[in-house]
Amino acid sequence: MTFFEEELKHGVFQICYCKKCNNTIWPTNEICHVCHKKTEWKKSRNIGRIIEFSKKDSSYFGLVEIDNGIRVLGEILSTSMPEIDQSVKMRVSFHSKPHYSFIVENN
Amino acid sequence: MNRVAIVGTGQTKFSKDDKDIERLLFESSSDCIQSVNNCNSNNIEGVLVSTNNNSKYLAAILSETIGIRPKISHSIEHLCSSGTNAIISAYAYISSGLSEMILVSGVESATNPGQVLEWDKSRGNLEHPIYWGSMLTKSHKRRFHTTEEELAIVSAKNHKQAMDNPFAYSNEPRTISEVMNSKQITEDLRILDCSRSCSGSSSILLASEEKAKTFSDQPIWITGIGQKTTSASFTKNSLEKIESTRIAADSAYKMAKIESKNIDVAEVHDAFSVCELMAISELGITSNDKSGEFVRNLFNTENRMINPRGGLIGAGHPLGATGISQTIEITNQLQCKSDKRQISNANTGLIHNMSAAGTSSSIMVLQN
Repeated sequence: MTFFEEELKHGVFQICYCKKCNNTIWPTNEICHVCHKKTEWKKSRNIGRIIEFSKKDSSYFGLVEIDNGIRVLGEILSTSMPEIDQSVKMRVSFHSKPHYSFIVENN
Repeated sequence: MNRVAIVGTGQTKFSKDDKDIERLLFESSSDCIQSVNNCNSNNIEGVLVSTNNNSKYLAAILSETIGIRPKISHSIEHLCSSGTNAIISAYAYISSGLSEMILVSGVESATNPGQVLEWDKSRGNLEHPIYWGSMLTKSHKRRFHTTEEELAIVSAKNHKQAMDNPFAYSNEPRTISEVMNSKQITEDLRILDCSRSCSGSSSILLASEEKAKTFSDQPIWITGIGQKTTSASFTKNSLEKIESTRIAADSAYKMAKIESKNIDVAEVHDAFSVCELMAISELGITSNDKSGEFVRNLFNTENRMINPRGGLIGAGHPLGATGISQTIEITNQLQCKSDKRQISNANTGLIHNMSAAGTSSSIMVLQN
């Protein structure tokens, strides 16, 4: 397992970035795609906004932007229809694959 | 650069059943070689295989099976656009003078591993293409007021056109109403809005100008090529456009010295209904806000300009073979050999093939 996946397992979404280039690397990579130096890690704020959403069976899912530019596909937990730009809190886990969930705030 | 032409084609019928990969490759390749008068295996200097299948050394296996000892042979994988990328590679070998004639064969089994890009962790556990297909569809509806009916027309049109394609996986007609009432996959996708992974094989023979004039009375010239990769991960994409298609199309038009208005017939990558609407806009054939109306007009007037063989939705999508099958259709159209599917006075055709939610696109312009 990668460091990113291990951290997801502990419920932590780690953001991969290059200190030298001030770049975020997503999907994560140990090497910066600009300077090819080793990247570093910092914890996500776990807050995002909904870019787009749809519904499968009775569950919403969608594209969410976290930490100013990282876009992630995941399930959206909401008791009512989500809205574009709505603020969400992120919850993560790892069960053979990454799982990203977004809880609509003030739900 | 030397000119490069298509001189031969061969296909198997696409099918939902899993079939032996090596057998499929042999069948389409053999048909392809036999489609060229006075051509035999000894004339072929290169063999390229496009596939997402995990089987190894397929180009060498195919070469031995059809009795060729080529100086160039290898496989090419680029997800859904493996086929056109293999043709573009063959073009490069021939135009540079490294080879005179190359056989390009695409193949896939229905249960192929090419539908999921495991590397893309930004998709989380929502790896299946229906999730990005739903995002693109919802965004198109929101931004361009595209209706469910306009999306259904894409599928109904392509199923109708596939009825006259003997190689399509299904020849069943689907009405707009049937599409709109077909099984709901997500809130924004019905099952008949989705192309279906199939088994099948398509082969094409490319030749230098000198060889083309020896072996064909109707060589079809590859006059424009564009390829662009903007990323590998879906979430880098803007939902409202397919940037890779627009850039690749611009390159192909410049190389062919044409504009979008010169295109008489096109095969575009309708992985989902919305992809056809987005593709014809990015290609400059229409605009995003008029794409639904444009396709409705094609359907109402029985104009087969877009996806005459039925596209991916109507004909099926054996990933590694799809781009080659698209190219065969445009070749046949420019040779006036498309029977009931024939577009009148087709002189310039286009192929649009893309991968992983449009993170990369390949475009070819063909002319007779």
